[in-house]
Amino acid sequence: MKTKRQFLATTAAAAAAAAAATLPGRVLAQARPAAQEDIVLGASVPMTGVFAFAGIGIDAGIKDYLEILNGQGGIKGRKVRYVPEDTGYKVDQSLAAFKKITGGNKVNLYYADSTGFVKAVNPEVDRMGSILMTGASFAREISNAQKYPMQFMVGPDYSEMVGILLQYIAKAKPGAKVAMVYSDTEFGKDPVDAYRADSKKLGLNPVLEIVTPPGSVDVSTEVIKLRRADPDYTIFHGYVSAPIPEFINQARAQGLKTSFMGTFWTMDNSTVMKMGPNADGFMGVMPYRYYYDTEGKAPMLERIRKMRPEYQSTAYMQGFLATMLLTEAARRCIEAGNELNGKNLKTALSSIRNFDTGGIIGVPLSIKGNSIPIGRIYKADFKQQKMLPVSDWISLQ
Amino acid sequence: MRIGTARQTYAADAALFDTPTQRAWLAVLAVALLGFPFLASEYWLYLACLVAIHILSATGLNILTGYTGLVSLGQAAFMGVGAYTVAILQQRWGVPSLLSLAAAGLAALLLGLLVGLPSLRVKGLYLAIATIAAGVLAHFAFSHFTTVTGGSAGLTVRPASVLGIALEDSFRFYWLVLPLTAAGLLGSANLLRTRIGRAFIAIRDRDISAEVLGIPLLRYKLLAFAISSFYAGVAGGLYAFFFRAITPETFPLVLSIFFLAAIIVGGLGTVLGSILGALFMTLVPEVLKSVMGWLPLSGNATLYLSPVRTIVFGALIVLFLVFEPLGLAEVWRRVRRTFHLWPFRT
Repeated sequence: MKTKRQFLATTAAAAAAAAAATLPGRVLAQARPAAQEDIVLGASVPMTGVFAFAGIGIDAGIKDYLEILNGQGGIKGRKVRYVPEDTGYKVDQSLAAFKKITGGNKVNLYYADSTGFVKAVNPEVDRMGSILMTGASFAREISNAQKYPMQFMVGPDYSEMVGILLQYIAKAKPGAKVAMVYSDTEFGKDPVDAYRADSKKLGLNPVLEIVTPPGSVDVSTEVIKLRRADPDYTIFHGYVSAPIPEFINQARAQGLKTSFMGTFWTMDNSTVMKMGPNADGFMGVMPYRYYYDTEGKAPMLERIRKMRPEYQSTAYMQGFLATMLLTEAARRCIEAGNELNGKNLKTALSSIRNFDTGGIIGVPLSIKGNSIPIGRIYKADFKQQKMLPVSDWISLQ
Repeated sequence: MRIGTARQTYAADAALFDTPTQRAWLAVLAVALLGFPFLASEYWLYLACLVAIHILSATGLNILTGYTGLVSLGQAAFMGVGAYTVAILQQRWGVPSLLSLAAAGLAALLLGLLVGLPSLRVKGLYLAIATIAAGVLAHFAFSHFTTVTGGSAGLTVRPASVLGIALEDSFRFYWLVLPLTAAGLLGSANLLRTRIGRAFIAIRDRDISAEVLGIPLLRYKLLAFAISSFYAGVAGGLYAFFFRAITPETFPLVLSIFFLAAIIVGGLGTVLGSILGALFMTLVPEVLKSVMGWLPLSGNATLYLSPVRTIVFGALIVLFLVFEPLGLAEVWRRVRRTFHLWPFRT
């Protein structure tokens, strides 16, 4: 640049051009109709931030299922187009992504990344009436179909997960002493009431509840409490990993025999294996089969293993199954000759009975409400470096 | 120093916008802001509303930190108090939206007075820690007074309603948030030209000297806290109406850091700094996302480059701090000076 003025003029021109390119007006948006052919699956996915470990898997799962589906001709000849946006696992960015995606496309299916986002966007989804939404949240509140009529979750809600764990415990050791350790967050507190009610109902003895901040914290005093209560089973919820390994290591060092358990977001194979050898025998509930599971007939799992030879996380399975169910709802809706809108899509989804997920879930699937209360108990085997099933599929339906 | 702006009356000397050119550009801006909702997509309207809320809160923090020199990391807590006030008043008593926003500001103001008390004894980092403690206490209250706050599940909020019109989308909400933010900015610009504003600046520059000059420190420090938290409370109330769902985790410490970063990047102790800082912190991540979208990348490349956005955003903030410690407001002033003095150099 010869002069500062020229530089400023160029900068201003570039800024104006960028603004023009990134500010599609209402008029412009209206003049550009969405493609009639494609069914659009929008997604707020956390590719960065604290939840990126899951977001990357979810994104891959969605893409792979759509590759399979579109490779087979899509839904009644209509391709499903995936439009994701990174959110950094922040509610305001998730909402921005939602507005951006729905503003530029005719969206009928949507994947949401967090409970906070689902709560914030729910009124908008209801108002629009054109979208069926699922996502990464298993919060109890979202399983309320009256409050969240256009949403569903791809598995049991957190209370149902704990319910499945308690059912297993009641069968394995009737009258067992149980403890629950949860984080002082919305996520952590979600199933606490259900834990209290269900453990009593199943004849178990809830001896202790421990609340901790999320993440890495000093747990020595909590472990002493745990040793005093001496539960047969200790359920962790509201964490991904930390402080679970610290709990387990200190508890084992003090000679505690309690069996440790976790819920979905703790239960990825790599997460458990990173907890260290003291976590051998760590159990938990998983609504899907693991990537390496070869038991029984599972054509979809085989297909995944062909597409991706390396291990895929449980978040991948979640994204994959979410897409399978969203597109199945769309398929049924189109087959019934109904318009693709939130209400019709939800009705179509609710018509799913004895649905074969190709082995992603080990039993035929029926959808009755906003959640799918099915799961299986898996146990960590450090010799094989795998989570292995120790129960049959448990359904709360 | 600008040339060609000789003032011949006291009124002209005291004018907030002192040249015809400035007033003309301001009129253009006002027209642009009024026309914006009719041209912008829902996405940009959403961002505009979010930026406006952030500007309001950043303005409040700038009064406290930029002008009075009291470092605060409690802005998110004050916003939380405002948000919960709005939600509770709406749910329990059906208080009208505008009234509940005023109440949100007042509730946060009262907390601000309380949190401001240690500011007479402690300064700098010590005060920052004291304000963090306020945030922790607020979070505890939001989490544990379940009957009032809904506990960890939080509260849902119906859309704001003004004159019987439910502001349930960004287009309608814009017409609430724009005048409130504009009023907040105008109020802050005027406040800082008064005796109170000058007292704030005196305290920032040297509090002992200010006291020697007859400025009662406690009164003015508490006043700075009160005004700042009032802004945060109203911004929090708007946040509740905008997002329609609040939980204790909606207002974390990182949000306070966000606002502190915004006023540092924008420019401490300037009204324009609050605007530019909030704009920068809110829009740059989105713009970077759009830029990534334009790059001819395959799916996997996008995946691996996603964290680069965060690095670039962080680097931009660091570069600003290193090369332009006076913030974006100073850059803006330099640009203006260049045009004013052209063909002469600054």
